[in-house]
Amino acid sequence: MTLERARELAEALDTKTDSELGGLRLGTPSQVLTQIRAYLQRRSDTMNVRNNPIQLLKLYRSNGFAQIDLGPSIDKGPTPDHFRFDSGARLSFGITLRDVERGSQVVAFRYHYEFRDGQLPRYLRFDLNEEPHSDPLREPRCHLHPGIDDVRIPFSVHNPIEILDRIFFVVERAT
Amino acid sequence: MPDFSTEPLFEIARRLEIRGETGWLAVLSPAADSAADLDQLQSELQSILQMPSRVIQLERSTFEELREALHHPHNDAVILSGGTGLTQEKWRSLDLMRSALERRGPVVLWLSPGDIGNLTDHAPNIRSFIGGSIFLAGPDGGFMTEAERQERLKELSEHFGFSGDEAVRRAAANESPHEPEFVEWLVLLGRGDLL
Repeated sequence: MTLERARELAEALDTKTDSELGGLRLGTPSQVLTQIRAYLQRRSDTMNVRNNPIQLLKLYRSNGFAQIDLGPSIDKGPTPDHFRFDSGARLSFGITLRDVERGSQVVAFRYHYEFRDGQLPRYLRFDLNEEPHSDPLREPRCHLHPGIDDVRIPFSVHNPIEILDRIFFVVERAT
Repeated sequence: MPDFSTEPLFEIARRLEIRGETGWLAVLSPAADSAADLDQLQSELQSILQMPSRVIQLERSTFEELREALHHPHNDAVILSGGTGLTQEKWRSLDLMRSALERRGPVVLWLSPGDIGNLTDHAPNIRSFIGGSIFLAGPDGGFMTEAERQERLKELSEHFGFSGDEAVRRAAANESPHEPEFVEWLVLLGRGDLL
């Protein structure tokens, strides 16, 4: 295996990501917001820490695009706008959607799960970039930061709700 | 019109969830014709109750069609929409078929604000199904305010170290960073067209 071959494979993975994204159709942005809110409410009902998804989630619409945000756009420390977990961890995320006929398509997303203070790794961040990077080996379009900004591990494209599944049912339970 | 509690559609769906699978309630739409709110209610019911939901237009349905639709299937969530308002005769005929309206799944009566009087006066049996569970559909509360948008724009400008104008210039010149935060910035600036 050479560096060139590794880059070819990384490029092929980005092409696959692009194709999978093209096939991933969601409901309208309002419907996606509704689904996420219901999901977070259901999860909140099983937790000790109180969260209010109806206040935390925000939808912005403009010129055929929609932004669904929870918590700050950049995580710089705990805020009342984060979704908080029983473990002491916190979550913020942003999902960008493009209107298509009778629904929407995912353009980009970021999910930042910050573990409780003192735990390593410090955070996990699931990112989907809008475009492929010129060096897809270093920066795959759909990637996970394992607590290190410059390390990006590729992962397959998921429905936004399924990423929450991984955070609630896998990451949070492992802490 | 009596004072009814104003609730976001999300909270109204939550009330049905807490009540269990069965139950009737009435929701008064914020305007006489609000198709978008009706879509939203259907979506909230589906997401909160985790079951399929359907809209049935009362005005257009005959007795047989309505009975058939309510019982096949009998356990999903159904919204009976009164549209812009039903005639007194229609309300009376619905009241006569009240037994056929009973089903296992939840039922939401979606009425225009002026129709609650007709329900009370001409369909007392259906009114008794609903009891005190009548709500005015209130604002959703899920939209980003202008102040919140400005706060995020400031946060993103500080993060990237340049202004919104510069972000637009870079995006137009195809020199933009790849991060999802930059995409968010453009959308919040109203320049999703540059994506």
